[in-house]
Amino acid sequence: MGKFKDLFVKRHIEFSPFYRWHHWIRFFAIMFLIVSGFYIAYPFLSPEMDPNPTGFLYAKGRTFHEIAGFILISMFMGKIYYFFFVKSDRDEIRSFKDLFSVKKGMKQIGYYLLIGKHPVLSGAYNVIQLLAYIGLYIMLLFLILTGLILYMHVYHESFLVFLNGPLTYLEVLLGGLASVREIHHILTWGVIIFIIAHVYMAVFNAVYGKEGTIDAIISGYKWEIPESEKLK
Amino acid sequence: MEQDELYLSLSERLGKLSKFPKMRDDGKSISKLLEENGISRRDFMKWAAAMTAMLSLPASFSPLMAKAAELTDRLPVIWLHMAECTGCSESLLRSDAPTIDSLIFDYISLEYHETLMAAAGWQAEQTLEESIKKYKGRYILMVEGGIPSDDSSFYLTVGPHGQTGESHAKEASDNALAIFAIGTCSSFGGVQAAAPNPTNAQPLHKVTNKPVINVPGCPPSEKNIVGNVLHYILFGTLPALDAYNRPKWAYGKRIHDQCERRGHFDAGEFVQEFGDEGAKKGYCLYKVGCKGPYTFNNCSRERFNQHTSWPVQVGHGCIGCSEPDFWDKMGPFESPLADRLYHSVFSGLGADATADKIGATILTVTAVGIAAHAAISVIKKPKE
Repeated sequence: MGKFKDLFVKRHIEFSPFYRWHHWIRFFAIMFLIVSGFYIAYPFLSPEMDPNPTGFLYAKGRTFHEIAGFILISMFMGKIYYFFFVKSDRDEIRSFKDLFSVKKGMKQIGYYLLIGKHPVLSGAYNVIQLLAYIGLYIMLLFLILTGLILYMHVYHESFLVFLNGPLTYLEVLLGGLASVREIHHILTWGVIIFIIAHVYMAVFNAVYGKEGTIDAIISGYKWEIPESEKLK
Repeated sequence: MEQDELYLSLSERLGKLSKFPKMRDDGKSISKLLEENGISRRDFMKWAAAMTAMLSLPASFSPLMAKAAELTDRLPVIWLHMAECTGCSESLLRSDAPTIDSLIFDYISLEYHETLMAAAGWQAEQTLEESIKKYKGRYILMVEGGIPSDDSSFYLTVGPHGQTGESHAKEASDNALAIFAIGTCSSFGGVQAAAPNPTNAQPLHKVTNKPVINVPGCPPSEKNIVGNVLHYILFGTLPALDAYNRPKWAYGKRIHDQCERRGHFDAGEFVQEFGDEGAKKGYCLYKVGCKGPYTFNNCSRERFNQHTSWPVQVGHGCIGCSEPDFWDKMGPFESPLADRLYHSVFSGLGADATADKIGATILTVTAVGIAAHAAISVIKKPKE
């Protein structure tokens, strides 16, 4: 650690409490949705034998899956609002400046291939990261829509009846209820792969970067070498 | 009071219809026909009440339903067979005893039905041509079977003129009063339209521009076929339809939601394999492939063979036969949809792959990639 001894670093708030809470609620909702979703797809647990018809294991699995789903929808909407309208989150939008920069993209790939330096970023995320997040949000959007179509046919009296028309339209467009269920399942796999890659990249950056990026999603702080120090 | 108005308008319509000439030569009435076949007036009224309930009409409408059944000989019906197995006609006609449904089907003025009519060859063709001409714009058209169309239409060549089924269907549809696609094949293409669809079989609604009411099922129950005729006689209009043009009174609810085994589904009690303890106890068939959760039909309420039984009651899951493209979308029939095989992956190499298998494979590749990247980056540190 001798190398860092005299280094002066500056602490700055990277992620606001709202951002962090949202991230972790989203995380736990998604994890629960994945596990309960696989149970719904193929009920691998058998309930304790009960002579009374009161142990509705599968129905409970479905109920909690739906509750977690609605939590995810609320997180999704909150995040969309936060992304577009909250000032302290401008850093995320600034990342889009780099989206069409081929040079920065190539440089980023070079960094990940361990042959080049990390490019200077305009916003919070690098190009590859940004593309992954856009992909995740498109997947989440379709998971939510297909989930709502499935829910519409499970519980007919929900407050979402006003959406029945557009959702039915989408259901026909996607090729019927069986296809909707399949798309829901396949997109889940997309999210699983995203999580694995996302966690690895976060750890990778925390190990080799000096900004403490993995701490930031818990404490909110990131450590930065100020420009004045870099010149020395 | 809306009910009273409806009752009045329906009786008015039936009154008008009853003034139409009878089309049967023997002048036999339905009550006489039923009596000859050992069905009492009481049984007939019970049947009328059941049909009324099935169409979601109030019980007070039962006499109207009985009257509608008596007037079924006023509307000519032409029944065409396309590329099919005649299972839909069989569903209606083959019962252990003559049912009221099948007797009504005998009684209606069936002008043309290839399986039932005595005529053959030139004579049959002439009957069809003449019926279309004679009852132009007045007959009900029922079509059974998928229709090989466009360049492939020759796969179905019928009759002495060597006409294609497609041209028959088009001509008959153009001059029809109302059109019903009976069965999944004429509604959605069915088995002959399953991938790779070698004969380019199309559903009826793709062949004609006129509105088609789909009555899918492989086969649809006798009640759903006769119910549509009766609905038309009663109302003279098309019924409320769902997104796939299926009458809502029959296809408005999921099989799963009306299923007698639904309690076991919610309880998590599943048949693990055919013939096990759970199967004997009547547990849910979801894990052995029941597609009831994705299928809209009234089988779980109306059943088949005079309300005797239906597939799920017998112990095999629903195969989703009244849904579009069910041959391609609902397989495998005896395991859950999660086990669906993706045949097209890597031009056949992935023929035994399910979504989970493909997902797990990609996950493994990702994990190996991550491990390799992590290992290399320990040796060759990333540049700052």
